[in-house]
Amino acid sequence: MGKIVFAGAMSHVLDPDYYQRACGDDGRQKVTACMAEIARMGERFTATRPDALIVVADDHLNAFSFNAVPALCVRIGRTVQRMKQDHAEAFDAVLDHMPEEYPLHEDLANQILEKGLDAGFDLAMSWEAPVDHAFLSPVNTMHGTRPIPPLVPIWVNSFVAPQPTPRRCFDFGRHIARVVAAGPWKVGIIATGGLSHFPELSLLRVGETDTVFDRKLIHWMEAGKHEPLRNLGVDELHKTGEHEFLNWMVLLGAVTPARAQVRYFGELPRINLAAVEWSLS
Amino acid sequence: MSRYAVNSLLYRLKKDQDFRARFETDARAALAGLDLTDAERAAFEARDMRKINELGGYLHLVMSVPGLAAH
Repeated sequence: MGKIVFAGAMSHVLDPDYYQRACGDDGRQKVTACMAEIARMGERFTATRPDALIVVADDHLNAFSFNAVPALCVRIGRTVQRMKQDHAEAFDAVLDHMPEEYPLHEDLANQILEKGLDAGFDLAMSWEAPVDHAFLSPVNTMHGTRPIPPLVPIWVNSFVAPQPTPRRCFDFGRHIARVVAAGPWKVGIIATGGLSHFPELSLLRVGETDTVFDRKLIHWMEAGKHEPLRNLGVDELHKTGEHEFLNWMVLLGAVTPARAQVRYFGELPRINLAAVEWSLS
Repeated sequence: MSRYAVNSLLYRLKKDQDFRARFETDARAALAGLDLTDAERAAFEARDMRKINELGGYLHLVMSVPGLAAH
């Protein structure tokens, strides 16, 4: 019987130079501390000898153009490529030094997709979509020079309205848990992004966060109180800059009623950095 | 305001290096024939990413078009 052996969530621009430019020395110091905790989380994950790592993250209008924007999309196939951007700026530049290709766990991805359709989740699938920093920055920070297990990338449309609801994301996480439980694999799951930043996706508000709201989310996660999280509204997430918490909602559904332990929380003007791990029985 | 017109243009500016070079050389010519409002066209010609964001351009695009990105 399969098992989720590790669950963690973390911010996903993990680059000291980026934060040095954006926030100065304090930015470098805090993201470095956050990355150190994420690296330790990665060591604990590796110690479980996992078969696969599910990565729930969002697309920053890189993989999916306005041709189609899937609410929830499972990456299938055998390998996935790093997104390449010529003359990369800002968060895109974080990818530049990372490996270009990663193995996928084809069987697990196919089961999440196929059983999802059977269960009423009208999931999109992709054989070609590349992954950007939202996937690769945490994965590489967790693993350092250690081998990375086969991945199952899953995209949540966190930014392009209308997005899936927090409740729907949570329910999709429950589906993932059922698929894992029915399979033979030891699986880790991470959700990336956040916490609060870029409220209302307004350039004028870049530099604002909502620490009060972040702490409310953290309190509920620490207490294992998932019902108020399921009742969050997409508008609420938009106003507070918690768009990427939709990714975390998928993870919460997968591990409920497990309680979270905060490994790092650090306030910066640009974003509140976080690294959280769940206690799994 | 057309969310699609503004954002598909931003996406093309980000991903299509040749189109971006044409835009940088002659923005008005590069934008000719696109379904933009006068305000949208003016904002792009002025490379005014703040205005483009106000007109519906997604933040992650206005922050990441090479050479034009707002930070």
